[in-house]
Amino acid sequence: MFLQNGLAALGLGLIVPIACKKDTAGTTSGTSTTTGSSSSSDSCTLTDTETAGPYPTKTPSSYVRSNIVDGQSGVPLTIKITICNTNNSCAALANALVDIWHCTAVGYYSEYTDTPGGRYGTVDYTSSHFLRGRQTTDSSGLVIFTSIFPGWYSGRAPHIHVHVYNSSGTSLLVTQIAFPTDVCNTVYTTASDYKAHGTQDTANTADSVFSDSLDTELSSVTGNITDGYVLTHTVYVSA
Amino acid sequence: MSKGIIRLLYRKIIDASAVKAWEKCAFNDSYTEFLMQAQLYNKEKKYTTFSEILANVPGAEKLHFLVSASVTGYIKQFNGFIPDIINTAGKTFLPFKQCRLEIIQSDITNAAKHRIAINIITEPLLWLDTIGNMLLISTETGKAGTQEEVLTEIITSQSQLNIHSFKQTENLWYHNQTEKYF
Repeated sequence: MFLQNGLAALGLGLIVPIACKKDTAGTTSGTSTTTGSSSSSDSCTLTDTETAGPYPTKTPSSYVRSNIVDGQSGVPLTIKITICNTNNSCAALANALVDIWHCTAVGYYSEYTDTPGGRYGTVDYTSSHFLRGRQTTDSSGLVIFTSIFPGWYSGRAPHIHVHVYNSSGTSLLVTQIAFPTDVCNTVYTTASDYKAHGTQDTANTADSVFSDSLDTELSSVTGNITDGYVLTHTVYVSA
Repeated sequence: MSKGIIRLLYRKIIDASAVKAWEKCAFNDSYTEFLMQAQLYNKEKKYTTFSEILANVPGAEKLHFLVSASVTGYIKQFNGFIPDIINTAGKTFLPFKQCRLEIIQSDITNAAKHRIAINIITEPLLWLDTIGNMLLISTETGKAGTQEEVLTEIITSQSQLNIHSFKQTENLWYHNQTEKYF
């Protein structure tokens, strides 16, 4: 095996001292070889040398962002979800993690069949999780996402998936949010990214998921195609 | 003249023995994400291992993709060049835009069993020649089929670096000459 150490090989361990002495403009001290342990009172101290690794930064999951558009085109949609706790007099639940995901204007999810040995996706990995996001609820139990109005795919009414976790990542609820039919009809028949696909083939009342639970899963959506829409919805969890 | 255009596949395995800072972060974060996402397919915690979930729950293969978001940030820090594989100047040089996380194994009760592979596929490369166990390549694929000078790199064959795809270019030069003169 021939795995070389990319970190050491980059030679980043070398730090060149830069003259930045205090109040000594015009003086020269080019022979100084001060190292990090300098205690001289009239000179600044060299920053300590640290491990050279170019990739040490702790980075959150790429889900963690408010804007989940990632270049997908469609009518702007602001998604405002409030999480309330049925175990605490329906009060707002702060610090809950909220994952959402939904399909594109023409009904595709950012997923691909990902079995070992399978083919690679055609999407650059940096934007491959489009229309998926994670936010943490504030003291009002609110999370806000910037996205596009979802399209639809055959057999399902338009929807957004939601997975709510407590602050330590334990699942509290997996649910879906439904859209008012009149708004969907407007978007799907007039907005350029949606028109060709037409109106959804499955009504909320005929949907396998929403037909028996529309009273708790139907969102309120206001706005118009030019300015975009705002969706508001409250999800009740038992935390 | 080149033998063809190839893409290389670098398979980076990360498990509990990870040493480098980013590998440790990728290990911990991918395990945390696995624990979160696996709940979608294992609500009643009936299963403990990834392979059990995969074998019993329809759609659970999506976990490979769902967990991959946890390491995207680290992969971005490579600035588009495959890690670990360096040239004689000590620099990473193999360009990539596509990669895929694969959960090799995991266990919701034991982080030490968590093991992932990050499969990174290079952009197309010109394969110019093979010298012993080394490949002479160039990233200047736009010059395939021409007689222009190309900048080259040498890669030593190694177990986690495979040739993922091949496209013959042998006739390109002749083709271009033909176009030029006829």
